[in-house]
Amino acid sequence: MKEDMILLREIERYLEGEMNEQEKTAFDELRHTNPLINKQVEEHQLFLQHLGNYGQRQALQAQMDKIHQQLDLPTLRKQAQEGNQTAKRLSIRRKTITNLAAAACIALVTSLTTIAILQNVAKNKSTAQYEDVRRVLNNIQRSQNALINDINKKSKAPTNPGTYGGTGFAVSGNGYIVTNYHVVAGADSVYVQNNKGEAFKAVSIFEDISSDLAILKIADSTFKSQPLPYTLKPQSVKLGEEVFTMGFPRDEIVYGKGYISAKTGFNGDTTAYQVSIPVNPGNSGAPLLDSKGDVVGIVTGKQTTSDGIAFAVKSAHLKHLLDEMPKDKQTRREWSHKSHLDGLNRVDQIKKLEDFVYMVKVYN
Amino acid sequence: MKQNQDITRDRELLLGLAKGDDKSLEIIYSENFPVVLRMILQHNGSEDDAKDVFQEAIIVLYEKVHNSDFTLSSRLKTFLYSVCRHLWLKKMQRTYGLYALSPELEEIIPATEALDDHAAKDEQFRIMEGAMGSIGQPCQTILEDYYLHKKSMQEIAEKFGYTNAENAKNQKYKCLMRLKKLFFDQYNTSL
Repeated sequence: MKEDMILLREIERYLEGEMNEQEKTAFDELRHTNPLINKQVEEHQLFLQHLGNYGQRQALQAQMDKIHQQLDLPTLRKQAQEGNQTAKRLSIRRKTITNLAAAACIALVTSLTTIAILQNVAKNKSTAQYEDVRRVLNNIQRSQNALINDINKKSKAPTNPGTYGGTGFAVSGNGYIVTNYHVVAGADSVYVQNNKGEAFKAVSIFEDISSDLAILKIADSTFKSQPLPYTLKPQSVKLGEEVFTMGFPRDEIVYGKGYISAKTGFNGDTTAYQVSIPVNPGNSGAPLLDSKGDVVGIVTGKQTTSDGIAFAVKSAHLKHLLDEMPKDKQTRREWSHKSHLDGLNRVDQIKKLEDFVYMVKVYN
Repeated sequence: MKQNQDITRDRELLLGLAKGDDKSLEIIYSENFPVVLRMILQHNGSEDDAKDVFQEAIIVLYEKVHNSDFTLSSRLKTFLYSVCRHLWLKKMQRTYGLYALSPELEEIIPATEALDDHAAKDEQFRIMEGAMGSIGQPCQTILEDYYLHKKSMQEIAEKFGYTNAENAKNQKYKCLMRLKKLFFDQYNTSL
């Protein structure tokens, strides 16, 4: 115990630099030779360092406490509370704004979606209202057709009635026939058949999708050309003018009578008329004629939502189309002559007309 | 530019703090305490909590500036604020377990590394404090007067009524040996 104390005193003197040169070298020597003492010295150094840190920190603490007491705490407290309250209020307000913004976004998206859906539905509806009047031929008609073909042996047309049917009419004496594009669209082969039951093979030589018209050419040696009794009327007809049509909604030619009910077609289409006339699937491509027997339009479709409303492409458009056709496919112009049907009564007109109206049968 | 100027001023304050300049400490203390107080109050702490946390942060800062390789990279205010946040977070974790933590406090706090050293230093301080507290009087005062307040043995002998400085010195060594024993007992077990 006593020795420890002496050693401690020596160490302290050594560390504090109180030893004279001689003692110091002796002590250094001692540290060098005796690791135990060396360890004690190092330990003491460490201890003094910790003690120093402790002292510094205590002093600091005391100083800080002093400063802290000088602070105007009530004021600080008040400020802090006020600050926190405003912060809270702000954060609440911010939360509210965020929520409102989110709600507004959702509302916006919802309404836009609704509008889009409604518009889409409206569009779908309007397309649904329009119906092509080509005919899907069924088995019963096939048997009838077979019967007709049986009677008219000279026809080489296949007994199969085809997948779709429509109507077409001659636009020249030498076998050019106009019908609707939607009748012949996607066709493998096309046959036209007149009211006598004679069928001819035809090929589509020109198609105009925008006006829904197609020009067919009869490519059959058995076809005999004959002059047209009617003309194409390029001027547009007046509202309320009486018109009639002849088509093949069944395997028999059917006469229909009506009047021009509007000068534009479906959804304001200016290339067409609205016609109040009974049409049925199969009437597509049928000619629309005025009382003088001039062609004023081509029946294309009808409105599904109401009865008796049909649409017909204006003859002016057909004329335009014929003019546009490539030269080598040009029809012979036979429109200049005067209509042979003018002045005849309707029964005679029909009698003359029916040879030039064809049933178009499409195979695909 | 303003921020640069601020950081220059902060650095000067730190230099003052390292030198033990009371004025610097006072400025740092009074300028930054209100912010910390507000933060602690906002997170369900009391004024005393704020005081403890803030003073600990100052101690951390103090230890840092005594470490020569410390350079202030952010504003002093930011540094103290983040250290305080971190300390408060730890305290909350200790007191309430994990569940009472407000999510704002769980943000990543950049002061983590600043506090690693501090934990060890703090531990050493506690050991020394404990040892000092248990050696009793007059030992504690004699040792504090000699080693911390740097009083001479003569003064101490007079203060405590020893006949001469040599007696006081002997007493001091006895006290010192007890303190060392107490300290190293704890110190070595804690390491």
